Amino acid sequence: MSRRPRRTHRVLASLIGLALACSTLVGCSSGSSPEQVRFYLSKPEAIPYFRDLIKSYNASQGDVEVVLDSSANLQAGFLRGNPPDLGLLNYNLEMGRFMERGALSDLSDMPEADRILPEVQDLVDQYATYPGRTSVLPYSVMAASVIYNKQIFDDQGIDVPKTYDDLIAACDKLQTAGITPFYATLKDPWTVAQGWFDYTVGGQVDVASFYDGMRDEGTAVGPDSDVSFQKAMLEPTTTMQMFVEKYANKDAASKGYGDGNLAFGKEEAAMYLQGPWALGEIAKSAPDLKLGTFPLPMTDDPKDLRVRVNIDLAAWIPEASSHKEAARKFLTHLFQKDVMDAYNAAQLGYGTTTDSAPVTDDRIVGMKEYFDSGRFYQGPSQAVPLNIPMANYIQSIALGADVKQTLAVLDADWARLALRR
Amino acid sequence: MSTQPALAVETVDAAVTLKDGSTRNSTASVRRRGERYNWPLTLLLVLASVSVLVPLYVTVVMAFKTTAQAVDGNAFSLPAPFSIDGFVEAWSLTDFPRSFTISILVTAGTVIGSVLLGAMASFAISRNWNRRLFKWSFFYLLAALFIPFPVVALPQIQLTGLVHLDNPLGVTILHIIFQLSFSILLFTAFLRSIPAELEESARIDGASTWQTFWRLIFPLLAPMSATVGIFAFLASWNDFMMPSLITSDPSLQTLPVVQNIFQTQFSNNYNVSFASYLMAMAPAIVVYLFTQRWVMEGVTQGAVKG
Repeated sequence: MSRRPRRTHRVLASLIGLALACSTLVGCSSGSSPEQVRFYLSKPEAIPYFRDLIKSYNASQGDVEVVLDSSANLQAGFLRGNPPDLGLLNYNLEMGRFMERGALSDLSDMPEADRILPEVQDLVDQYATYPGRTSVLPYSVMAASVIYNKQIFDDQGIDVPKTYDDLIAACDKLQTAGITPFYATLKDPWTVAQGWFDYTVGGQVDVASFYDGMRDEGTAVGPDSDVSFQKAMLEPTTTMQMFVEKYANKDAASKGYGDGNLAFGKEEAAMYLQGPWALGEIAKSAPDLKLGTFPLPMTDDPKDLRVRVNIDLAAWIPEASSHKEAARKFLTHLFQKDVMDAYNAAQLGYGTTTDSAPVTDDRIVGMKEYFDSGRFYQGPSQAVPLNIPMANYIQSIALGADVKQTLAVLDADWARLALRR
Repeated sequence: MSTQPALAVETVDAAVTLKDGSTRNSTASVRRRGERYNWPLTLLLVLASVSVLVPLYVTVVMAFKTTAQAVDGNAFSLPAPFSIDGFVEAWSLTDFPRSFTISILVTAGTVIGSVLLGAMASFAISRNWNRRLFKWSFFYLLAALFIPFPVVALPQIQLTGLVHLDNPLGVTILHIIFQLSFSILLFTAFLRSIPAELEESARIDGASTWQTFWRLIFPLLAPMSATVGIFAFLASWNDFMMPSLITSDPSLQTLPVVQNIFQTQFSNNYNVSFASYLMAMAPAIVVYLFTQRWVMEGVTQGAVKG
């Protein structure tokens, strides 16, 4: 009787011991002969492509072993001091914060850095910079503009509009023919911000210098400041509200992104304000649809036409990585011309280097001349920190809220946030 | 009794068994007396079960569709070309066997840890209720109920990183700790209903404290252990945030975190994601069905002994 408890004690003690031993062992498991590089990639559509690429790369040499990581939490990784060794992901304001604080290492000495188009590299600096460093190398750029149904345009004898008046004429013509000009999906705030707001504002306002001005004004932003949302964006957002009210589908308020892709595939409207990512989704239900793209004209001068871009993938190596050299080797492999070209062709992206192959896909070739001549802007809705629910404000404008009042709220939010920082 | 709905007959049966000690024909007698059904309540229960069954139906149907059919806007339609591509892709994208095993290990560790630790702590607290240290440690532990994980996430990430617990073991430990206050709340309430005389008689027979707990109290706690276990299972199996923040090695990540790649703003792969969700849901449903029954048995068992 008295031996029983002791056995239980022993079992318990050994279990705890085992657990502790395991925990220390797991911590020290790295450090075997080929240097392991944790490669962070979170874009699900791109995972199969890069998985194959990694497989062939690992087989081709014995120094570096790349491990794909698509589930890491970046904030936690940086905080813990073991971020992924190489990141390739969407570059935005949030990612810019890591760069601003010097968490990303300098890559300016790499030959790849010299191949990047200067106007594309400028996009990175619009969000944040770190003195003396080029920490982020753009890998793929997504150009977005109005997606239109070529067949409907041909049937109605409409040419791609180059001026605002052309656009209104085209919309009226479509409407007389009983065709909905635009398909709007107001249920998803991001679609309103990304398409309706960014295209209308970007077609009229110089986005980068506007936000430079906003950052300079800081806490002073308000009804009386030189630069403010209520001044610069009143006109385009009013136009946006008019477009939605007059030319979009009547049930837009209850439609989400998925509904939009499906409806556009069913040719329920002639134009759709979405990016190239939607093209693949539309193709899921309508693979043979003939689609094209053109920048939304917001002025009477065709020279003002611009396309919205975002850095879909950008590469960086953290300062805290203990495998920087190995990560650089793999980065060089990733930035080979044919590897980049194959990726961009498959994902409908635009190349970021001076030597990248020209885009050929019918659906996005309409934006080529604008991209090649540097006539593009980064989405104005993307330049606002997430603390401000920008997309929701824009959504409420699209749903009929007072434009001036909502923009004034946005200004007040901006000033408050500037005060807090 | 006669106004009880048909669905409750099973429970009524058990209660009747207890009261008069006879097990025969009690169901039949209840039914005979209650030919009238409580229709409003039945309707309410039908609605309740539909609210569970409809999403389940959509999940199953979606999982077997092709990608083209999954995005066509008809959630309720039957899969026209019956396809298992979704399962194949989900299996490889999530590296299912590996992430599934890790999820199982973390969850099993959490369930066992919560039950054992909760029961032991509650036993100590409830039997030393008059001592200030134990009383206040109870309040201290309960206070943790008010602290959600996101509030302490950042220090936890740093701490686990420092002691090399940025892995599933660390997640398990944290799951147990965060589950502890609720487990103790349940266990202490239950322990109060166990008469002290039972323990005294065990003492007279020569049992030590450990033996009293292990051979007498812990078996008596079984129904509450099942409840605590179910809560711990659900919390641990479904948790996304803690493993995603704490675990640093991507190959040691749990299933819900790996499945996160299916949810993006720009693309809808309903068939793949639903196939994956279905595979992840299966054990939860199985465990729930199994333990639910066990709880019922446990309740009557405990009642008889008391």
